[in-house]
Amino acid sequence: MPEIFSSDKPKGKQQKNELTGHHSRKVLYKDMPMQARRPFASFLVCPENVNFETKDHEEKVIMFLRKHFVTNIPWIFMVALMFLVPILVTNFSLFDGIPDNFMFVFILIWYLISIAYFLESFLTWFFNVYIVTDERIIDIDFYNLIYKEVSDANIDKIQDVTYKMGGVIRTMFNYGDVMVQTASEVPNFDFLAVPKPDKVAKILQDLRIEEQQEAIEGRVR
Amino acid sequence: MILSFSIWPIVKIFALLFLAIYIIFSIVIIRQVQLMTATLEIGFEGQLRFLSVLHFLFAVGVFVFGILIL
Repeated sequence: MPEIFSSDKPKGKQQKNELTGHHSRKVLYKDMPMQARRPFASFLVCPENVNFETKDHEEKVIMFLRKHFVTNIPWIFMVALMFLVPILVTNFSLFDGIPDNFMFVFILIWYLISIAYFLESFLTWFFNVYIVTDERIIDIDFYNLIYKEVSDANIDKIQDVTYKMGGVIRTMFNYGDVMVQTASEVPNFDFLAVPKPDKVAKILQDLRIEEQQEAIEGRVR
Repeated sequence: MILSFSIWPIVKIFALLFLAIYIIFSIVIIRQVQLMTATLEIGFEGQLRFLSVLHFLFAVGVFVFGILIL
């Protein structure tokens, strides 16, 4: 048999093309090992066991985002101050006229209010998340105690991805806003104060290319 | 003396009223956490539910304590 038929050279070249092509880049995300889940993380690629109400059985979560932890510092500072207030205030002579039993209950009420503020701030940060799967992007918002909004758009509906970072703190901690324009019913998805906005934009770009590739090859799920 | 007799029972009523409303608020938080954890599972659901129930119990405790000592 002529040597040309058994040569490994063309195969190697083909493999190289596959690795450098756009398609393989997306397949990389799909095939990436799942990351162990860290409940307080703000940026996770391929997180393990992240589930949401409308998740399809075959759908894979590629990216999980929420606001950078640094954005919590103002309310954490506020809560710390609120917890210190009773210790400082009880020394003031201004409150000497209040009977001890009333003073004690007022302090407990103050702590209840502080706990409520902490819980609301924490829950708002914890549950306002952005999820990117291999098929769509999902924005889950909890505006107040009983109002939630879940919007999603297919990856192929993404028209434009813009990200911006500005200011000292945002540059220092590497977080910013990613604006996604879509052709779906919700025209804009704003991923606010998310870590590594450049990486987020890059992953979205790769997923869009893969989606186009799938459409061309007729592999649409 | 007259002032203390006239003011503190009213303050007591308002404090207890506030605490009663706060108990309702803490029930809403329990419901909210249930709703949130049903919408999104990240792996901290049990702890959050425990925290919200603890908050409710604390609110009830303060209300009962208020009735007893005011």
